[in-house]
Amino acid sequence: MVNSLTNPLNIIIITLLSSFLLPLIYQKSEQRAVNLFFAVLAAFVVISLSGYLQLLSGLPTIEVLTAGIEPPFSINLRFGIEEAFVTLAINVAALLGAWYLLPHLKTNAPLMLLFLIWIMGMNGMVMTRDLFNLFIFVEITAISTFVLIGFNRHNETLSAGFKYILAGSLASSFLLLGTMLLYFQTGTLNIDDLVAHQSLLTGPIGTAGLVLIMTAILIELKPYPANGWGLDVYQAAPTGVSALISVGVSASYLFALYKLLPLFDTLLPLIAIAGGLTFVMSNFMGLKQNQATRLLGYSSVGQVGLLVMALALLSQTNQADHYLLIAGGLFINHFLAKAGLFWLAGLAAEKDIKHWSHLKQHPVIFVLFVVLLAALAGLPPFPAFWAKWALVHTLVESQHYIWVGCILLGSLLEAVYLFRWYGYAKSKTNETAIVCQARQTFPIKLMVALLLLCGHAMAINFGLQPERVLLPVYAALAMLLLHKQPSYTKALVTLLITGIFTLQVLPTLTGLSWIFGMIFLVGSWVLTIGSLYKGTEQRPSYYPLLVMLILSLGSLLLATTTLEFFLAWEFMTVSSYLMVSLGKNAEKSSLQYLAFSLAGAFFILAGFALAYSETHSMQLSSFAQLAEHTVMIITLLLFGFLIKLGGLGVHVWLPGVYTDTDDDFTAIMSSIVSKAGLFGLFAVGIHITTQFNDIEALMFVLGWFGLVMALAGALMAVFQEDVKKLLAYSSVGQMGYIITGFALTSHMGWVASMYLAVNHVLYKGLIFLAIAGVLYRTNTRLMYKMGGLIKNMPISFVSVMIGIIAISGVPPLLGFGGKWMMYNALVEKGWYLQTAMAFFASAVAFLYLFRLIHTVFLGQQKTEHADIKEAPITLLIPQVFIMVIILAFSMFPHVLIEPLSTAISPYIASTITWTGHLLETKQGYWNGFMVMNVVAGIFLVPLFILWMLSKVTNIQPVKQFNIVFAAERPESPETTHYAYNFYAFYEKALGFLVKPNAIHFWDASAEWAHSFGAALRRFYTGNGQTYMAIILMYLGIIYLSMRAI
Amino acid sequence: MDIWISKIGYYFLNVGIVLVYGLLLGAFIAKTMARVQGRIGIPIYQPFIDILKTFTKRQAISHGIMFNLGPAFRLAGGLGTLAFIPVIYGNEMFSNFSAAGDLLLVMYFIFFGQLGMALGSGESGHPYAAMGIGRGLAQMTAYEVPFTLAVVAIFIQYDTSSITEIVAAQQGSIWNWTLFTNPLAVIAAMIAFLGMAAYPPFDVAMAPNEIPIGPPTEFHSHFLSMMQMNRAIFAGAKLILFMNLFFGGATGLIELVFKTWAIYMVAILVGAAFPRFRTEQAVRFFLGVPMLIGIASVLYIQYWAQ
Repeated sequence: MVNSLTNPLNIIIITLLSSFLLPLIYQKSEQRAVNLFFAVLAAFVVISLSGYLQLLSGLPTIEVLTAGIEPPFSINLRFGIEEAFVTLAINVAALLGAWYLLPHLKTNAPLMLLFLIWIMGMNGMVMTRDLFNLFIFVEITAISTFVLIGFNRHNETLSAGFKYILAGSLASSFLLLGTMLLYFQTGTLNIDDLVAHQSLLTGPIGTAGLVLIMTAILIELKPYPANGWGLDVYQAAPTGVSALISVGVSASYLFALYKLLPLFDTLLPLIAIAGGLTFVMSNFMGLKQNQATRLLGYSSVGQVGLLVMALALLSQTNQADHYLLIAGGLFINHFLAKAGLFWLAGLAAEKDIKHWSHLKQHPVIFVLFVVLLAALAGLPPFPAFWAKWALVHTLVESQHYIWVGCILLGSLLEAVYLFRWYGYAKSKTNETAIVCQARQTFPIKLMVALLLLCGHAMAINFGLQPERVLLPVYAALAMLLLHKQPSYTKALVTLLITGIFTLQVLPTLTGLSWIFGMIFLVGSWVLTIGSLYKGTEQRPSYYPLLVMLILSLGSLLLATTTLEFFLAWEFMTVSSYLMVSLGKNAEKSSLQYLAFSLAGAFFILAGFALAYSETHSMQLSSFAQLAEHTVMIITLLLFGFLIKLGGLGVHVWLPGVYTDTDDDFTAIMSSIVSKAGLFGLFAVGIHITTQFNDIEALMFVLGWFGLVMALAGALMAVFQEDVKKLLAYSSVGQMGYIITGFALTSHMGWVASMYLAVNHVLYKGLIFLAIAGVLYRTNTRLMYKMGGLIKNMPISFVSVMIGIIAISGVPPLLGFGGKWMMYNALVEKGWYLQTAMAFFASAVAFLYLFRLIHTVFLGQQKTEHADIKEAPITLLIPQVFIMVIILAFSMFPHVLIEPLSTAISPYIASTITWTGHLLETKQGYWNGFMVMNVVAGIFLVPLFILWMLSKVTNIQPVKQFNIVFAAERPESPETTHYAYNFYAFYEKALGFLVKPNAIHFWDASAEWAHSFGAALRRFYTGNGQTYMAIILMYLGIIYLSMRAI
Repeated sequence: MDIWISKIGYYFLNVGIVLVYGLLLGAFIAKTMARVQGRIGIPIYQPFIDILKTFTKRQAISHGIMFNLGPAFRLAGGLGTLAFIPVIYGNEMFSNFSAAGDLLLVMYFIFFGQLGMALGSGESGHPYAAMGIGRGLAQMTAYEVPFTLAVVAIFIQYDTSSITEIVAAQQGSIWNWTLFTNPLAVIAAMIAFLGMAAYPPFDVAMAPNEIPIGPPTEFHSHFLSMMQMNRAIFAGAKLILFMNLFFGGATGLIELVFKTWAIYMVAILVGAAFPRFRTEQAVRFFLGVPMLIGIASVLYIQYWAQ
């Protein structure tokens, strides 16, 4: 019974039976017909599912030959594990798609009928082992597709459908012609027989046959540039139909291609090129696209291109065992996400993606939308992420570097236009909420659930513990359940979750990881307290994402393999990106952040893959065995990490991001998240200490790079009017020193680098929190609009003062230790001119630090700020806490330096010695404790004088404007407060050094990519005749290239 | 503990000596300048009278706590800088607290007073104060470049950043002075010194010839007295630092007085001869030839001299 149930032939039989019954029943009762319709579709699912399960449990592949006759006169079907998987996917999508399309379908019995035949055609294409059968199923599918495209009888859809049938008939005729030629050569139409008789397929006829068949299948898969008709269909067809064309029809053609690949041995490079070209070009074109459905069309075409390319390359490299993982992963990801998005596009009922902000009013749909986009962009934990990981590794191993470049470039472009869409949805323009019922969102929800499930399964497949490595996502999803709670509650829950996580993770860490653990986990915990000041706001997604971010930083620390590292890295990137996007007007800057972060991640991926190809191990510790590609690998990884660190040249994302995000998150971003790049450097660096000689030149360049960055960052900060931009550029500068410290690859250099990093966490966190309070009270970021706030916000002033003294490196605060070790390390290494450069950069820092504190807190107060209050207490608590730590570390520097030194000495032998509080190097010495005491003691002298004088004189506090002002009495703070264009004279002298060249470069690059995308679209005239001509030319070009091969 | 008490005692002795000397030097300079300009000038004890006068005047107004603390920071900066510099070589009495840190500490501690002063005068709300500080800081970033290069050259040359050891390495003969072993570094540093001294042509930050301008604008009476005190001590400390680094240090008070006076005269002579630079001109100036001389000194020591 069960066996007969799973017989795949049943799919065809049931369809044929029901096509007689359906119209009859429909005339009696519409509802019954609908019931039958769904019963049939459900039967499809049951058949393929039970078959799949049986095959999984080890039953043999089912071969069907109808009526005992040999093909071509019978239907020859095969139902193996792969077929079962693909048909199951198609049938599930069909069932859900039918549910989605039901309001349209049930108006018309023939439509339901056609829908069934359509699905049967797809199933048949997957299962058949016979070329002629394939042709038949292709025709069945094509005709029903055409009708379904046009069912609503709009002009647009009809013309799209007509173009579809034109292209389809051309492709079918190629297929038929090819089939004839092959039969002529071999006398068989069975694919397996054909493969067996491959040697006969030579000469003009055999070749022509192969080329025709291959072109036919490729055309159906919509290769660039012969795919204008397909895009028009995606754009114009009802979204429910587009969804199934994109996933179902494409899936069946892909599977047909997969089946025929053994025949195309010699054509594999061509297929790969066709796929790769389509993938890259459609993603370029997607950049320019604003129509939701057409955008999805580009994405579909691109994804299918990627799959085609992957299939061809994998068979070329004989990596058949990776098929299921890679092709299956890419396929199922595209399948679920694209269907979901097409359906969503139908619900949104808004063509232009710029008007998608109505989605935001409906939180559930919005979350679904984001998840689907993330899946489509290949972000973890969704299947495409794993598949791409494996694909890139496989391709790098077989030295297909250019293809890897294509894949990564295309993926980057795709992510950019997908998340640009998200940015529009996020922005506030459309106030009317989207209308939809739960019934309509059900298929989408199911797709999202399946995506998560597949991702989970993929993690298991890769030998990871999903409950551990995917924890950030699950925690974030769980936090979403609290979305109706006030932000206060959510913040407390966040503190609780991250607190428990910290307590769990921190004790398991040692050495450098422990120090980074303190930075990432404890640091962000303290800064999260600060976010309580927005307790009255709803902030539905802020806290879930924050949890995800902090947990992903924790996972980063726990990672021992490149895969775990990369996974956590991507989680961190995604969550921080989404958090950035929550800020007002953050669309542009957050997209920049995403683009740069992903580009960085891809560099890291490439580096990891290259390392894997050499060591065949994913363990981070295996970097110690690198020999051949060390420089290349480290360069790639450096690119990746430097982008995260905001390295000069790729820093352009940073000021915008720091400015546009929520003020409390800027503190976390700047002081915590920016250290992830540093962690990456060290995580790799500690394993390659024996190869330092190989990368000496690279590190020399990196050392200069860091210092140029330190100087440029400081100079840029000097000329900012916006307080957050000033601090952002200051971060760029500070990161420069940290990078140089790392580049020294010496014990002291690394200690200095880590010491500066810890400092940066402390003082940047402190200053950003203090400034968050100021911005909260003043509602402006422009420093010249502030002034004299010391009287209203004394604690914030003290925070900033401590912060700037710490940054500047003036003793006795802890900043000096960083500078001291840095200079010692530089001199020890023999980098003398670099030492002077570092000094110059640190002197320039004084300019912006003074400007920061003066224009905000000192000088003349604005009239409207007369009554503002000190920052909220929740912002002040973490500040006070950080100040205490800063003072403690300043007083007892060895408490900080010794653990750093011990953590690094296992990798590089220590060159510093401690005698009590005295720290000595080969060149110099420093006794922080004594300095603190001397300074404190000396300070008593003038204080004593002041105190004495205050006893004998009666000092009157004077009011504002009571100053000696050239015999005038100024009245307006706007004209008296020296703040705007503070360093005009410095700009005259050195402004030429900081022309925004990097910004111009990247703007130009983006512009170029968009124009290129626009130029690529020239082929798409919308004219069916042109499309036909292009298809014919495509065939010609393939034939000629084939001859060339 | 006794060591510390005696150290503190010695330190205050140093402060006293440097203060008196610094004030005298100031008067001497003023007098020299007056003679250059054909005037008689002030009596040599004028600075003492000035300090006494400002110190006893009643401070009537205050702009706030940070304003009050500004001069305190300033004076502490001067005192601290002196505290970390050994004044006379080979003499425990004059070694101060130089055991706390090396040359780098001194170079950074110099900013302590300036930063505090900047904050204090900032609270006064006077635009000239902020303007003066901005100009001063801008100039500082520039003259630090040749100075740092010179210091780096010294680091390489003596393989230490300890001031005491740098002085020790220059003992024995006049030809052991950095002035003769590394003349390029000394030239670069002395040009930087012109900027540090804030005499013409680099006096735009204080603009002493105009109506009061710059950071001290709002400070009167005993605040001013503290700043005058600091000016003497700070100038003294910087002169001693230069003497230690480039001119063989001093083994006795007479040598100290003579050498520091001679160093100071360089700034005076240049100041008497040149008009004032605007800020951006000063910045460009230091980052031009002086910087190249500094780089040359580093390269010279790194590649030729050793």
